[in-house]
This record gives sequence, structure tokens and C-alpha cells, in this order.
Amino acid sequence: MGSPPHIAVIGGGSTGAGIARDLSMRGLDVTLVEQGNLTHGTTGRMHGLLHSGGRYAVSDRASARECIEENRVLREIATHCVEMTGGLFVKRPEDDEEYFQEKLRGCRACGIPAEVVSGAEARAMEPHLAKDVEKAISVPDGAVDPFRLVVANAASAIEHGARIETHSTVRDVLIEDGEVVGLEVEHASGAGKRVHGTEGGREEIRADYVVNATGAWAGRIGEMAGVDIEVRPSKGVMTIMNVRQVDTVINRCRPKGDADIVVPHETTAILGTTDEEVEDPEEYPEEGWEVDLMIETLSELVPMLEDARTIRSFWGVRPLYEPPEVGSTDPTDITRDYFLLDHAERDGLEGMTSIVGGKFTTYRMMGEEISDHVCAQFGIDADCHTADVPLPGSEDFTVLRDYMDEFGLRSPIGRRSVERLGSRADEVLTTSDPNPTVCTCEGVTRAEIRDAIEGSGSDLNAVRIRTRASMGNCQGGFCCHRMAGELHGEYDEDVARQAWDELLQERWKGQRHALWGEQLSQAALNYALHATTQNRDRDPADGDPVDFTAFDGGARSSEPSGTAGVATDGGGQDGD
Amino acid sequence: MSDTGPQTDFDPIEPNTGREFEPVDVFPATEEFDLRPGADSCFKCSACDTSCPVAEVDDDFPGPKFQGPEQWRLKRRQGHEIDDSVMSCSNCMRCDDACPSGVPLSQMHNTARGEYVSEQMSKTSVEYWRNRVLSNYRTSAFLASKVPRLANVAMNFGPARWLMEKTMGVTKEREFPEFASTTFREWWAERGGADESRRRARAHRERLGLDRDADKRVAYFHGCYSNYNTTEVGKAMVRVYERYGYEVVAPEQKCSGTPMFANGMLADARRHAEVNVSSMADLVEQGYDAIASCTSCSMALRQEYPELFDIEGIETVAANTFESVEYLRIHEDLKTDVREASVSGELAREFAYHAPCHARNQGLERQSVELFGDLEGAGIEDVGDSCSGISGTYGWKEEKYETSMEIGEEMFDHMAEADGDVGMTECPTCAMQMEHGTGYEIRHPLELLEEALVENPQSEP
Repeated sequence: MGSPPHIAVIGGGSTGAGIARDLSMRGLDVTLVEQGNLTHGTTGRMHGLLHSGGRYAVSDRASARECIEENRVLREIATHCVEMTGGLFVKRPEDDEEYFQEKLRGCRACGIPAEVVSGAEARAMEPHLAKDVEKAISVPDGAVDPFRLVVANAASAIEHGARIETHSTVRDVLIEDGEVVGLEVEHASGAGKRVHGTEGGREEIRADYVVNATGAWAGRIGEMAGVDIEVRPSKGVMTIMNVRQVDTVINRCRPKGDADIVVPHETTAILGTTDEEVEDPEEYPEEGWEVDLMIETLSELVPMLEDARTIRSFWGVRPLYEPPEVGSTDPTDITRDYFLLDHAERDGLEGMTSIVGGKFTTYRMMGEEISDHVCAQFGIDADCHTADVPLPGSEDFTVLRDYMDEFGLRSPIGRRSVERLGSRADEVLTTSDPNPTVCTCEGVTRAEIRDAIEGSGSDLNAVRIRTRASMGNCQGGFCCHRMAGELHGEYDEDVARQAWDELLQERWKGQRHALWGEQLSQAALNYALHATTQNRDRDPADGDPVDFTAFDGGARSSEPSGTAGVATDGGGQDGD
Repeated sequence: MSDTGPQTDFDPIEPNTGREFEPVDVFPATEEFDLRPGADSCFKCSACDTSCPVAEVDDDFPGPKFQGPEQWRLKRRQGHEIDDSVMSCSNCMRCDDACPSGVPLSQMHNTARGEYVSEQMSKTSVEYWRNRVLSNYRTSAFLASKVPRLANVAMNFGPARWLMEKTMGVTKEREFPEFASTTFREWWAERGGADESRRRARAHRERLGLDRDADKRVAYFHGCYSNYNTTEVGKAMVRVYERYGYEVVAPEQKCSGTPMFANGMLADARRHAEVNVSSMADLVEQGYDAIASCTSCSMALRQEYPELFDIEGIETVAANTFESVEYLRIHEDLKTDVREASVSGELAREFAYHAPCHARNQGLERQSVELFGDLEGAGIEDVGDSCSGISGTYGWKEEKYETSMEIGEEMFDHMAEADGDVGMTECPTCAMQMEHGTGYEIRHPLELLEEALVENPQSEP
């Protein structure tokens, strides 16, 4: 065989990144294109549950078995993305006993370790559970950071020679002689790492095979290729609480229903969710009552949620798919299984396969199956290693050390940093420069921010998903400008300013759905701070670059300092 | 003059424990408070940091915002360590007062410190035992009071102090307080205890034209310092209260726990708190109010106890505890009486008054100045709102001594500027610092009240 076939993968979510990693590990030449940053679509808008399979143990045992299998795999290969919190299916007095028993039988039948605990035991594990919770089934659910997992998959793919292009939208699928031969892509900025304000232009990417892993957007790519893919996007709301009210995943043990899960996620807890079919994966209403429903219903399980602080809400669209002949009317009836649509078989169009449906927990398995399929097209017989080889950051992550002493960080900050960085901690945090905390809510230091900028260019939202900086309770009020400041040196002022604006916009987007109580006060304080110190209530200073040399250097230190000029706060030596 | 007796419908100042946040109700059976939800009230405004006296002088101290809401929010239930910087917090509790939003800062610090000491600090380290000895001042004082003269000499004997600094890390810069030859409780027992107090209170009620059996009864929480060291403060409290017709009892009591909170010795503090709450709760049930003459003691009973412990009766005790001058200002026309009085002799002086941080947290920082401003024969001047820097046992630690004196600098300067050359404060350790930094003699407001309002105090048995 000559040079390996070149595969174009569309979609930078978990599925696309998983496919890119798998194919590149098997020696194929891979280019992945994503219209936003990694996880821009559905992956970045999920509740972060690492399924044990318990949720499907009654309705869909095949999915349940896949989940528990992949749950075990991810615990091994993605230690730095996964937190094994454990999960509970809790039964309230009004919930059906028969369903509880069915759930238990289902878990056991699918090989999901499940154990019944009494209400008192459940409350000993989770003290904030409602007093009238009768009993619960304990299962190995976990929490997973989808951002970190996708970034790690992409990093692994790059290590194996893949090219990853973010902010690159597919404008056309190139077809010659009834066969897909590549993509026409529009880069929002220059090829490679993103640099704001750099004209990117269009590029024709020739490929021997195209994989459409765009989930809810699969129909659009299908349209460009002239094939019909009936994805049925279904939206779900998720609400983020400021702190973790629970450290275990709490599921409601009842048949399908809205607002039945609380997932502890990093410093926060995420409430989910709803299931409602929408026409367009990008344009759909985001309504206040959906958020209210989450809080109200889940307060039945964890009463303190009623008055707890919410920091933002977001909506995601599930890329549900069912063969058109099934004809479910209720989206909750549509299977969570995935489908591999070979357009050659299905539509007579050679050179492209779409993968639709499925769920985050089984992304690797989906990647494996489609990679097998792609390899088969070229007669390549290569084994899949994605289940055995740890992701970058999860290699040899066994030695717990005294991080604080080693990196000079305060205990919880060092601990959190190492949890995020895993085996990369040494490489990222060891620095001879001062390493102040940039984001104090999430405990993110300058070294980690700089590492992320190195990996993702001037896109501060990409820095955010890599580090969690600006994702805490002030929602970036006190750190967005510091993050933008870290672009200095490598990037110009107007690049930094544009990236900063984008980050603030993104932070505001989710907070709009949490503007009452504490978060409203926070937003008001942020506004006042940004207006008075950053001129954000006036004309922005973008446009012409600011001529900083025109400013004088301030009062000379040799001048006698009047009392009015003396700092009254004891000085500003801290610097942050 | 009031003749209505204690007004039971008075609503005392609510401790600053956060708006709707009651961790006590969440973990009824354990002492493992999960304070993460307390971070919900934090908007990161940094008002706490700018009010922190330690952060002001120590660049390495990350400040109360980090110690409190940030550290708690980053914590996971298991396997997360507390940063050792929590031991540099002096527990002045100014951050509680500064927070515009009710974040339970000192509760977070106290709980984290307790966790740090019990989980992370070596129980064989010198620091641990030094802190334990310092925070159990009551035990040392109890022993010393058995041989007060010997103790006074031995404790300030140069070579012994040098050895203490080298082996235990107790600074040799400070002089140990003097132990009284007769403790307050010995004096109280000899004087006739509660029966004698009732007799005197009744005599005063007659003089005041009150009902002989008026419901004016208080339980005195004298604390360790008034008992073993400044017994004149305790005696003054008793005489002033009797003069207004109050029967005083001095129930069984231990240390308030203040030095133990500051050193993370929560198990010790709890043991003492159990005794205090149990004896005070019984009396409160019977209609007594609890009165403390030390503002840190009243702070402990009012705020720290219910925040840190779940002991039966703790809320009732907290709601019925008052500082000694505050209580009289509420129930008696103290202002008029002081305005009509005059002092001469030893206490006819100009006082440089320092409000302790813990008095500040109870809203008491102006009471002495408001009261004695009108007193003929004496003058009083507020030396400003800085912290004295000693914060109980903090300034006694060899490694904290410099920080403590740096914090105190502003107060020393202001005292020197003030007219008076006698200091005044409610807090015994602030008094040590004031004396240490200026050489002034330091008095308690109760002593001046006694001088102004009580006839012939020295004719006591």
C-alpha cells in the first residue's frame, strides 16, 4: 500500500474527535473540521453524566450494556476527565415500586453493579436528599468533563498526525462521478490555530473518504451531498448550580420524565433535563419556564435546590435518529442507539458515511465501529487501540504528590489544577515565572492559561473549555480581562480585544437565564465593574488600535506624594 | 429610670450567618458541616479582603475571600486538603462584618481550621502542642492561680522565657499577665455567692423604689481572664449590676472557646461549650439573661456556638446573651445616670479607647465612647477602627509576633496621639497588646462605670 488514505471527518464533538483519534492511531491520514471550537455543538451542551447504563436498564437494555462497558473503559483511559462519583436512583413515596424493582432487575441483567440502599443510608451518603426519599439503587454513574475529553482526543489525534481545524465551516461537499471526493471549507481565520482577525478564506480539502459526524447538523451536510438524513433534533435544558449540593449523581427512579437528574460537575451541580423536538438545531426558543421546571421538580429530590444559587442555564440538542419507518411521535420514545448510514448502500453515493444518534458515553465505541467501517472500504486490517491506550493527560496518573510544595500553589488550587491536567501537570505547571491565580473561582493559574493558549490560539472560549477559567460563580466578571491580558506578547491588542469581547458575550449568553437572586447581584456588580474600569458602558475602544505610547508614564516617584495619592488599601503588592 | 425590669420581647442583633443558610439543620447528627452552599452568597467583591488586618501586613496571606468562599467552593467532600494558610488567620472576624452579602466567613474559617488541625496537622508537632497549651489558657491559669506569686515570677523569668520561645515557639517579647492572688470566684464565694447578691440587689431595689422581687436576674459569664487575672473587672460587673437591682449568679463555666476556635481545636472547644451551654441554658429557661464582660466571650456564645456546634439549648443561650454594658444600655437609663455622675481620684483620667474587633462585630464599638463622653471628671477618645493585632493567642506565637505588632502599629500611633495616657478596652488580649505597645495602664469600661455609679465600692467584704 502506498500513502495511507486521507479521511475527512466533519464535526469536532465527542464522536468526531473519537473517530479522528481512532483512525489516526490506525495509521490513516485524518483531517477534522469543526464549524466552532471543539465541543461547539451537542457535546459542549450536555450534563456531563458518565452513564452506568442504569438510566437505560428498563427501556433499552442494549444501550445499557454498551454504557457499562464504555463506562469501565473511560475510567481507565480518561482518568483526568472522569470523576467516579457513583450514582443513585432514588424513589420517592409517590414513585412506582414495581418500576423500582424493574430497574433493579434491569441493572442486574445488564451487568451493572446495583445495590439497594435505604433512605437513611442514601441520606448518609447525600445529606441534602429529601427526608422522604424511601430508598435508592446505587450504581456506578460518574461525572465526565466533555470538554477535556474531546480536547484530549483531539490532542491524541494530532500526536498521531491528524490535522484538526476549528472555526472551519463546511460550505460544500465535493462530488465527482457519483462519489464524494472532498469538502469545501471556509476558515473563519487562518488555517491552523485560530488567530482572530486573520482572513482565513476557503479551502478545498480532497479526501478519499468523508465521515459526517455532525450529530444534529447531519441533515445539513446530507443536503450538500444530496442525500436525505432525517435527524430529529430534540432540545433539553440544563441548569448549573453555583456549588455542588450533591457529590453523587442523583437520578429519579421513575419512567421517562423531565427534570430527573442532578450531576455533580467539577465545582458545580448540573440539573437536567427536558426532551422536546425542534426543527432547527440552532434556532429554537429558550424559555424561562423550562428552567423553573428543572429547579421546582428536582427540589423534590434535593430540597435545598429551591433557594440555591443558579449561575447559568443552557440548552443542548440531541442528535436523535430513527429509521423513518418507525415513526415515533414523542421524542422520548426515539431510541438512544446510534446508526451508521453508509450512503453508498443507502443512497448510491460512494465515499461518505454518516453517523447519527448515540450518546456521549459510548462515543469511543461509535468511533471504533465507524473506523472499522472506513478501514474496510480500503481493505485495511488494523486493530483498534482506543480502549487500551490512555488519553494524553491520563497516562501514568497514579502518583499523588504534594502539589502545593511542588508547584508553589495553594492547596485547593494545586489540587484542582492537577485534577484537570492529570499527567500533564508537571509539564504545564512547572514554571520559573510568577504563577498567580487568574481565575479565583475555579482555581486556574497563569501557567495553565498560557498552556491552553499555546494549544488553541487566540480563542479565549477554547481556553475556557480547556481550563474552566471564567466558569465559576462570577462567570468571568473578575477574570475575562486577565485572560485577555495573557494573549499579550503573542497577539496584538485588537486580536486580544476581539477574543475578550467574544468571551464576555459567551459568558453573558448563559447567565441571561439566571438573572434573579444572587446571580442578578453578581451580574450587576460585573456590569458596574466592567463599565467603570473597562469603559464597557461607552464606545468600545476597538476599531483603531489604541496608541498606548501616547499616554504619559504617570506621576514620577521622585515627586512629593500628597496624601491624596497614597493608596489607602495597604498597597497593591498582590498584583491580582 | 426604668422600672419595668428586663424586656423579654427585645430582639437581639442577629449573628451574621448568611441569609437562608443554616447548615446546622442539614447535618443534625454530625459535626461535619458542609459549608459549600455558603459560597452562594459571595459576589467576589473583595470587601472582606480589604478589611483583613492580616492581609494588610502579610503579602503571603491569601485573605478571607480565598480562605472562605473560594476554598469551600473548590472543596470536594472527600480528599481535599485545607490550605495551611488558614492558620495565619487571626480570627478577628472583621470579614464577617465587612461582607455586604452574609457569607458565613468566620464560620468557614473556623470549620476549615478545625479540619486542618484534626486531619492535617501533626499531633506530635511543637506547633500543635504550643497551640493547644495557648488555647487552653484556662488550664494554665487554673494551675497558676494556685500559686499566683510564684507563677508571676516564674512566667516572666528571662531564661525560662527564652527556653519557652526556643522549645515551644511562645514569643519571649511579651510579659505574661499577672495572676490575682484571689480569683474572682474565690472572692464571690467568700462574699456569699448568689444569696448575698440577692440580698444586695433587693436593698438596691428598695433604694430605687422598685418591687423587692422584681424580675432582674442575670447569669454572669466572667470568662477566664476576669477570674484569674483582672478580677477587678468581675467585681465591678457584680457591683454595677447590683446597683441597678440585678441579682447576679456566677454559674459553673469553662473557657468560652475563643482561643480554641482560633487554633482549630474544635474538640476542646466543644467540650467547654457543652458545660457552658448546659449551665447557661438552665438559667435562661428560668428567666436569667447571660452577661459577659469580655466581648470575645459574648461573641462566642452568640455567634460561634450556634455556627459550629449543635448542642441542646444553644440557640436559646445565643439569643439571650449580651455584653455587660450593652445590656445595661438596653434596660437602664445608663446615659442619664452617667451624665449626672462624676469621677474623681484614680480614674479621673483621659482614656484612649480601642474597640476590639469582636465588639465591632456585635455592633458595640461606639458604646463606651457614647457613654463616657458625658462623664464629668473623665474623658474618652476613640483611637480608630484598626485591629490591635494580638487576636488572643495569635500574637503570642513566636512566628506571628512581628505580624501582630505590625498590625498594631496604627493603634499604637493613635494611642500616642490621643490626649489620654490610660487605655480602655473590653477585650483582655487587646488590653495586653495596648499595654505592650504603649506602656499604658489599661482599664475596662465596667471599672469606670463602677467608679461613676457605685458608692463606696471598696467597702465590700
